Formats: sequence, structure tokens, C-alpha cells
Amino acid sequence: MASSSKVTPAVDDNTPGEIGATSASIKEEIKWDPFQSPDWDLEKPTSDAIVRMKRDLHLVFSDPLPGIFIAPESDDITRLHALITGPFDTPYEGGFFHFMLRFPPSYPFHPPRVKFMTTGSGTVRFNPNLYRNGKVCLSILGTWPGPQWAPAQNLSSVLMSIQSLMNEKPFHNEPGFHKERLGWEVKSYNDIIRHETLRVAVCDVLERKSYPIELMEVVKLSFMQFYEYYSSTIKKYAPELDDTSMNDPFGINKGTFNFKKLSQRIEKLQLALSSSSL
Amino acid sequence: MSTGLKVKIKSWNGVGFWKWMTNDTDCGICRLPFDGCCPDCRIPGDDCPIVSGQCRHQFHMHCILKWLQTQQMKQQCPMCRRDWQFSD
Repeated sequence: MASSSKVTPAVDDNTPGEIGATSASIKEEIKWDPFQSPDWDLEKPTSDAIVRMKRDLHLVFSDPLPGIFIAPESDDITRLHALITGPFDTPYEGGFFHFMLRFPPSYPFHPPRVKFMTTGSGTVRFNPNLYRNGKVCLSILGTWPGPQWAPAQNLSSVLMSIQSLMNEKPFHNEPGFHKERLGWEVKSYNDIIRHETLRVAVCDVLERKSYPIELMEVVKLSFMQFYEYYSSTIKKYAPELDDTSMNDPFGINKGTFNFKKLSQRIEKLQLALSSSSL
Repeated sequence: MSTGLKVKIKSWNGVGFWKWMTNDTDCGICRLPFDGCCPDCRIPGDDCPIVSGQCRHQFHMHCILKWLQTQQMKQQCPMCRRDWQFSD
């Protein structure tokens, strides 16, 4: 991230090759990883915090958000999994994106920490704000410049903000890239995201069944509903893109388009799901 | 109109009812109803008051104080992010 303006403090520390991981970003490291939060392990959540967490969870269940599903961990109310399905009319459409969240012991006075889990084992950068190491760059999470966390936020607003990162032209999420410079970047980036969504956020997810079981049920049901979209997308883009190299304007995602292979995987999954052997 | 009846009251029990005058039903911080109290208190009333900012947003006093204590740099309203000033 960072970009030409070099104003953003967030550093993609696990992946030094990331855009603009410049020497200018030697700022104090911001803790963001719910799996690496020893500072939170020492402290028990206050009873106020637990009441508020329950309210937030209850609100997501009682007032469900389109395309957003959660699965709290049964033995720890501070941890939960979230599934966000890629919004319609975006290159993320039909994808199943998994996030792990953890509430701080002092909730809601500090923001939750969030890790993006659908990264193809740290190989795919799905968005300028969703790093390969799982960092989610969002101002209300304290990982991005702009309006910071306030206790009026809640789980629903955090999840909606993350969902809004997955928009029609994610290229522009990169600061300083509000305009295309060369005229091909938006399309090129969208082509990559669309392919990787099908490969990593659809095929890999269903083949590896790596999401929590409650979320896998949603994934399987949604897969069948998206099946027509998957087929038409593959038909539409395979002739133009197959066997060409990905041209990521940020130089991060690399690989060769292979919609034909994705087609085979999706057909196989569709068969398995129809006979409910998956 | 007079009926000529005379009534003598021997004793009476007064029952009072009060409600906070608020713009909203719940505190935006703890999300608990204003008619109750903040999560730290047990009895609603003067010991757990509701306060307003100049932006007219209201919170349990205990909730907004806790939030302001965590903000060293800028103290802003949790709802509208305007600089927090207690209303008189």
C-alpha cells in the first residue's frame, strides 16, 4: 500500500515486497492480529464488555446484514468467525471470504482485531486494503488513516465496513490511485480479482472445507445459487484471458489465467454438491 | 355541585414515576436503555445520571467518562465525532 503519497502508517510487515513498504513507514507497530494478541490474553474481559459483545452478536443475528454471516466460537465469546460473500456486480461476486475477529477485554472502548483468512495461504492480495498476511486496513480498526474507532461502532458496522472494501473498482482503494494513470489498471485488476475469487474464494474453500462448519453450510447453499454466475463468468472471460499472464498494476498478484481449469473444478463441485456427497 | 357527603382521609400512599428526558432510548456506548443504568451500576437514578454533549448526543455519564479517559489526543463524541463538550 502506502503509494506515492507515502502518508499511510500501515505496514504490511510480513510481506516486505508489498507496495510501498518503504523505509518511511517505521512507525510504531500497530497491533492488529487477533491470533497474536498477548496483550489481551492477560486481561479478562470486564462484565460490561461481555454484555456489550452479546448485544452486538445478538444484533447481527436479529437484524441480519445481506451477505454477512457469523459463527461465534462456542467456548469464547470474544472470538468469532465471519463470512462475507462477495457483493453483486463486483469482481468479488460469488466469493466466500472468511474473517476472524476478536473483541478486546475493554470492548467497546477499543476496536476489535480482525484477520482476513482467505488469502490462498498468504499468496493473494484481494484488495489494496486486504493484505496477504491477513491485515485488514480500515480506519475504524485503527489500521488506516481516517475516522478512528468510537464506541458507537459495533460488530455490524465493522463487518459492513469490511464488506464495502469489496467494491466495483477496488483498484481505487489504493490511496493516490483515485484515477487510472495508464488506462488499463482498473480492468486488469478486476480481471485478476475475478479469477482469484473463483479460484481461492470459491474452489479452494469448497474443496478444503476450511471454514467453520456453520459457515460451510452457508457456503454450500450459496454455491448452488451462484452456480449460473460462475459458469457465465468463466464463459465470458476464458477466451480473452486464458493462458495470458496476470498484469497486476501493483505488481503483487502473479500467475496465469486459467478459467478452463476453474470450470472443471466448479463442475466437479457442482456434481458433488448436487448428489450431496460434499 | 355539592352532595353534602363528607369524606375524611385517614391515610394515603403517594406513588411517583420518573423518566429521563432523552432524545434516544439507548446509550450509544453500552447500548443499554437510558431507563436502566450503565453496566456498572445497579439502581437507575441520580447515581447513574445521563449527560448531554453540546452536540446534543446523550450517554450514561459513567460510559462517556470511560470513553473520554481512553482518548488522550482528541476527545470526540462517539456518535458524531465532534469535539466533546459537556452541555450545561
